[in-house]
Amino acid sequence: MAHANLLSPPSQISPQTALALSQKAPVILSTSPTSSLPWPLSLLFSRETPESWTIHENLFLSALRTGDETSARALLDRLEARFGQHNERIITLRGIYNEATAQSNGDLEKVFDGYEKILREDPTNMSIRKRRVAVLKALGRPQDAITAVTVLLQNSPTDVEAWAEASELYASQAAWGQAIYCAEEVLLITPNAWSAHAHVATLHYLSIASNNPPSLSALALSLKHFCRSIELNDAYLRGYYGLKLVTTKLLPLLSETQSTSSKRNNNNNSQDDEDVPIPALATVKKLEEIATSKLAEIVRHYKAGNKGWRGFDEAEVIAARELLDRDGN
Amino acid sequence: MAFFGTVLNTVGALFLTHAVYSTHEHTATFASTPLPLDITIEMLASILLLSLGIVISFAPLKPIQHAEWAGQISRGGRHGEGQYTREGEEVLSEGDQYAFLGLDGGIGGKGEGRRGFWDVKGKRREYEEWVRSGGKN
Repeated sequence: MAHANLLSPPSQISPQTALALSQKAPVILSTSPTSSLPWPLSLLFSRETPESWTIHENLFLSALRTGDETSARALLDRLEARFGQHNERIITLRGIYNEATAQSNGDLEKVFDGYEKILREDPTNMSIRKRRVAVLKALGRPQDAITAVTVLLQNSPTDVEAWAEASELYASQAAWGQAIYCAEEVLLITPNAWSAHAHVATLHYLSIASNNPPSLSALALSLKHFCRSIELNDAYLRGYYGLKLVTTKLLPLLSETQSTSSKRNNNNNSQDDEDVPIPALATVKKLEEIATSKLAEIVRHYKAGNKGWRGFDEAEVIAARELLDRDGN
Repeated sequence: MAFFGTVLNTVGALFLTHAVYSTHEHTATFASTPLPLDITIEMLASILLLSLGIVISFAPLKPIQHAEWAGQISRGGRHGEGQYTREGEEVLSEGDQYAFLGLDGGIGGKGEGRRGFWDVKGKRREYEEWVRSGGKN
């Protein structure tokens, strides 16, 4: 089980971890980080640290997730007392509380109207704009959520988190072209994010999943981005997994096109609107070997429980092993 | 290694103090004569020892290459280094700095990234289903 750490919660919180996290509520709530003494003394005897408020916020979210609304309310009251009612972050947390305690879709609509009212007063509150998208998603209206997120992006085009969300939303609607566009915007802002490169590659790969025969240029782009993701992170399991998938799909295609006349091959390439160089068969073969050996290495070290190899997600390692087994290794 | 570094540092500091003290005594008694060679040698040796001790006892350096550094984070995951906050939460080592993008779980993944768009309703439903199914794994 992943550690239940409130200061830096894990990147994937299973219900079990969420329960463990929210069970820390009585301990945290039993002592107040702020001092109850009058003003000059309260400065001297305060025991609050920046970490205490991160912990409070994370605990608040875990309590809401597990339905512990009394603790959540107490934590929210504490945060409000410390930072004031009109703090942008506190307004957002209160909104999340209202969303979580909404019983029906009608209640959620009311929360949504409340957000509209807040935005009329202060149109620059970006976190409330993001909450609006989240509520629309919860209401099962992805099209409206996409519209809301595009409006947000028009006002704040450097918000990388919103670009990532837009990419996911488009992908959930199978609008691959738009999803890839948004994911590429993410790359413009955070060009070193290995997960973003793997995300673009996955989108390219999925966009041609239903095509028969799959388009070579999309596969080549996917290959390129997976290569970049492992170039940025030499132990990126998702990157190697994707690299192996793409190369196994590319190899038969490439050997097919190479056996046919090179003239036809050229014609095919010129028809593509994007000018993507198709990799050579030998390169793809080499990449496939690298991906296989790296995946095998990760699986072996993880299974042996070696120190310094425990950071991988168990489900991902199992999937990698299944991929290797399917391949007959 | 840290112990060896501390020993070097202690010895170096002792020699340095001794050399400084000797210089002071020497100039106080024979103001116009040059400093004897042994004091100079002791001073240089002590500085060498101290520098060596500091380098050896220093915390391991982070990899310079991006791939290696990121790989270290992916391989090792976040682990505690023995420091705790007042609330009893352990302070963890550096994690994936791009986790906030929430792109690590694949398409439609259930990661905790993108906190601004946190889907509280979906997470609650997931938890309720887990409780209803008997709380297995």
